[in-house]
Amino acid sequence: MDKVVACQTCGLVQEVGEVPKGCVIKCARCHFQIFHRNVDSRMRTLAFSIAAAILYFPSNFYPIVTAEYEGQYNQTTIFQGIKALWEHGQYFISGLVFCTSMFTPALKIAGLIFITLTLDWTRWKKARTYVFKTIRIIDPWNMLEVFLLAIGVSLVEMGEVATVHPGRGVLSFASVVVLTLLATFSFDPRLLWDPPEEKRIYE
Amino acid sequence: MSEKIHGLPKAKIERNYLTWSLWMVPLAAAAVCVYFVLHDIVFGGPTITIYFQNADGLQAQNSMVKFRGINIGEIESLKLAKDGEFVAVRAKLGFPARNLARQGSIFWIVRPEVKLGSISGLRTIVSGNYITVQPGDGPRTNAFVGAEQPPLPPIPAIQLTLLTGNLDSLEPQSPIFYRGIQVGEVMGFHLSDDARDVVVEARIREDYAPLVRMNSQFWNAGGINFHAGLFSGIEISAESAETVVSGGMAFATPPDYGPPATNGAVFTLNEKEKDEWKTWNPAIQLHNVPEGKTIKTSLPQFNPR
Repeated sequence: MDKVVACQTCGLVQEVGEVPKGCVIKCARCHFQIFHRNVDSRMRTLAFSIAAAILYFPSNFYPIVTAEYEGQYNQTTIFQGIKALWEHGQYFISGLVFCTSMFTPALKIAGLIFITLTLDWTRWKKARTYVFKTIRIIDPWNMLEVFLLAIGVSLVEMGEVATVHPGRGVLSFASVVVLTLLATFSFDPRLLWDPPEEKRIYE
Repeated sequence: MSEKIHGLPKAKIERNYLTWSLWMVPLAAAAVCVYFVLHDIVFGGPTITIYFQNADGLQAQNSMVKFRGINIGEIESLKLAKDGEFVAVRAKLGFPARNLARQGSIFWIVRPEVKLGSISGLRTIVSGNYITVQPGDGPRTNAFVGAEQPPLPPIPAIQLTLLTGNLDSLEPQSPIFYRGIQVGEVMGFHLSDDARDVVVEARIREDYAPLVRMNSQFWNAGGINFHAGLFSGIEISAESAETVVSGGMAFATPPDYGPPATNGAVFTLNEKEKDEWKTWNPAIQLHNVPEGKTIKTSLPQFNPR
């Protein structure tokens, strides 16, 4: 199945022969990769999703920030922060932080793993498409800024009297955000509706 | 341009190793988790439970355990013990402090305290109360009974028992003087079994121990001695400014002194100093204190002035 494609970098129109699995196409002139499809989309998405799923646990288990001051300390995990906001009557912000920091990452990771693992099934095509649509919708809501802001504020407010240092949670949380982002970008939605014989080539 | 006429160039097809190397990402993520868990297991200090009668001023997830002024642990939870008699304080010690979780370690709560003659724990007014520890050297253990009072620091000393009819202004840590120099302190007191005497436990620092002889005389040096005579005028004397408010005692040894007092020797604590004791001035050879020991024994509370 020879095809003619134009290189996205230098514009050279060239012929592409049979592409075996696990191979990439490179331009004859500029040697840049020709992105006919997202390369190894399925495997990359799965790798990033699994990495994010693994790090999701420490990101919620370990404290985001630790503050120490004269004989006292304070450690806050994401959930404790949400709880504290809720108890202070900030229901809207509390809910927002819960959605953006705990709920959507979990949903995204679970959704991507579900899609990539069930891609070979002939059934549930519509369900997979629906899941992917949902992931695309919640994508912009999955953000790190809220907590960066919280840490920034505490650093500014308490820098003089207290020692504030980021905990293990914040590193894991940032990694989860970056990894879910990479996973969504690696996924090629065309895979969802590829006929089985073509999917074997592109996945 | 000629390429186009003669046919399209063939794109190169190369094997892609990047995707396989991307499996390093979940591996690295798992490694990070394993590192976190292992670090907690290997470098996690022990979690100890200290039973206090009163945990006033401690906060779960907030108060710290300090030793020599630095943080060595954190208080995880405060719970009422099953019998309702104690508060069980669970504290997580850091890795460097793992050797403090030994039998004989004494934990107590540092609170702001204003007593006659001393003010302590002023920082805790701002910072909140914290737990501190005096290390012991027994076998490892995870359960402790907290002390209600700060314990006296352990120093090489001989212990004496003094019997008196009236405690007067003596209290734990009241100083014991020999010729105006503090050589020991009161450790505690209680009534004798038949309630006729007050039994005072005291200790004398090891390097001053030879001063105490079996025929030494102890007297209560607390308060102010006020003496008014028709011809001698008014005479006011006190052992030290500290004893005026917090009590204290002194002793003298006669020139024909007896054998050195042994550990646990019993003396009588006189109400007043007799005039003849003032003239006693025996020459007593003190121990040659090794260099290292002087550092250990020159703890601050022995130089209050």
